[in-house]
Amino acid sequence: MQLDFAARELTIKLVYYGPALSGKTTNLHALHQAADQAIVGRLMTLETRDDRTLFFDLLPFTFRDKGGLSVRLKVFTVPGQVIHASTRRLVLQGADGIAFIADSQVAETENNATAFVDLKENLKTYGLTLKQIPLIIQFNKRDLPAVRSDEEIASLAAQGREPVYLAVATRGEGVVESFIGLLYLTWNALDAEHDLNRKFGFDQAAFLESVAKRLGHERPLADVLSACVGGALEVLRPEAE
Amino acid sequence: MAGSPASLLDELTLGRAVELESLVDRGALREMAESTRQLFGASIRIYSQAGNLLADASSRPALYALLDQHESGRAALVAVISAVKSLDPEPEHQADFSCVTGARYLVAPISYDGHALGRLILGPYRLPDTQPSEKLRELAPGLDRQAVQGAWDDLPALTDQQAHRVVRHLSGALDLILFSGHKALLTSNMHLASVQESYRELADKNAKLQHAFDRLKELDRLKSNFLGTVSHELRTPLTSIIGYSEMLREGIAGELTAEQKEFVQTIHEKGEQLLELIKGLLDLSKLESGTMSLRKSEIDVVPVVTDVAQTLAPAARKKGVEIAVRSEPGLPTVWADAERLRQVFLNLSENALKFTPAGGRVALTVAASMIERRADDEGRGLVLFSTKRPAVEIRVIDTGIGVPDTEKEKVFDAFYQVDGSATREHEGTGLGLSIVRRLVEAHDGTVRVEDNSPMGAVFVVTIPCRRTTIA
Repeated sequence: MQLDFAARELTIKLVYYGPALSGKTTNLHALHQAADQAIVGRLMTLETRDDRTLFFDLLPFTFRDKGGLSVRLKVFTVPGQVIHASTRRLVLQGADGIAFIADSQVAETENNATAFVDLKENLKTYGLTLKQIPLIIQFNKRDLPAVRSDEEIASLAAQGREPVYLAVATRGEGVVESFIGLLYLTWNALDAEHDLNRKFGFDQAAFLESVAKRLGHERPLADVLSACVGGALEVLRPEAE
Repeated sequence: MAGSPASLLDELTLGRAVELESLVDRGALREMAESTRQLFGASIRIYSQAGNLLADASSRPALYALLDQHESGRAALVAVISAVKSLDPEPEHQADFSCVTGARYLVAPISYDGHALGRLILGPYRLPDTQPSEKLRELAPGLDRQAVQGAWDDLPALTDQQAHRVVRHLSGALDLILFSGHKALLTSNMHLASVQESYRELADKNAKLQHAFDRLKELDRLKSNFLGTVSHELRTPLTSIIGYSEMLREGIAGELTAEQKEFVQTIHEKGEQLLELIKGLLDLSKLESGTMSLRKSEIDVVPVVTDVAQTLAPAARKKGVEIAVRSEPGLPTVWADAERLRQVFLNLSENALKFTPAGGRVALTVAASMIERRADDEGRGLVLFSTKRPAVEIRVIDTGIGVPDTEKEKVFDAFYQVDGSATREHEGTGLGLSIVRRLVEAHDGTVRVEDNSPMGAVFVVTIPCRRTTIA
């Protein structure tokens, strides 16, 4: 997070992590398409010739609150391919929240797990643990055959701590819900640490609701947030120690 | 970490570090402004946020040249220009400005990602079907009316709508350029950062490998020490066993029966074999640990080789193998330890004899040669030396079973036997050749094995002379 008091400008960094070809870039494309042009910038993709992410994708959002605070969201993806380990680590640095995009196909279970361990390891190099960073998990590609069943995911998610979303990013399904869930967790964590709501007279619920609305989801916030299965949209408090 | 590629990346993507100057090429920006001016006629200037003029596609209007001739006109012009330059419209908005002459300017902000990076100024231009301002005459009363009208007509005519469209078009094109520039900037920084991160990772791994390597070297040294100590400790009691069995055999403790004598003889022989093995181990560990001291002097190789041949002559005769020495006259001396060289040639010749069947032939030849200087010390200063050094080459040639190509390097490894099977025909500890190689290397020499046609092997030992250059 970067806070420019003089310009009343807050910049939040969200990172979409996950195994190769799980749909991280597709999530960003779907967000870009869903968004009101007034709040979203160009989607920047630094990719190779075969459309694989080389360094990262970057989708910028800018929201101006009535209180005068301007909230800028920078949504990044990391390159999923194993060889880009050092790039992943670089992009991950300074992330305020992480969406882990998993591939629902049964055959990809191993790759999901490997990428998650990789995330854990990379966070460790920055002295962070998964407990300390807002995280949501999205099971993408629900429309494909041979995917892990809803029941299986729900029962596993119920035992886990982080909220889990189901999505078909190519059709935009579940993409905004995942994003709002991540933003909710991230804002809570940042507010707990920096007391943002009070300092800026910021109405968090109204903000999130307006973000959802400008992403084409004109529903009460609780409704959008309830799209997750299992886990908890709990507020991360900085550890006492 | 401040200043690291990762933090630079953060600044480039999260902060306000991006500047117009770093995203666009000034020359290209000027070309774009110029081509727009040619298309619509009106002058265009592009300023960075810091106020630097980055592109200037303008010509001084005749009207201003006229005004410039009068002091009050000049002052009014300066005021106009500074007023236009100080206009700072909100992002996404354009600001119109009417000059004292009636000419107009349009100022638009250049912004990227919601941050102002500079300004774009279009003008002066006139609205179609308008006349110069009446104020003009007040400013410079002596102006020629006709000249003023001509100059006014020379100004490019644009409707407000057209002017706004030109600026919008230019802003759009600029935005695209800024986006591409930002993308290129990010890509190059990401490249740099990734390479640095990979380098850091590799350096970490290298340090770990180096540590593991140092530890292995230390273990190797410990192993050699252990071998040395154990060999030494084994030798002491073995010497007693050999000595006492010898005394028994010679009847010092009373006459033995034929059978007892045979048993004692076996104990004695096996004891001697064991002693050879232990000596070999001791030599090897000394060579490995670098504690073997060589007593080098200028020596002639031929007598050493001849002595070896003579030593082996009885055994060769017994086996029905011919052994011979050939040498060319006038050979240089080498800088070596005669006793160790003897050990080398004895070992190679014994091997040759062992593997050569009856009726075969073992030859030892000595000839002058050259040895390639290896690029030691990282090859530095190599050019100052002769790459070749005079040397003496000793060949031990046999007509035995030979050494297959795949084994030619391995035969010099400790404990290696070409015939590794349990029922192998030829006995040996497998230490001989590894000791030979280490001894030769301790003399800065080389040893290799070649094929002998039509059968057999040739072990080629090259020992350099002391002189480092050819006389």
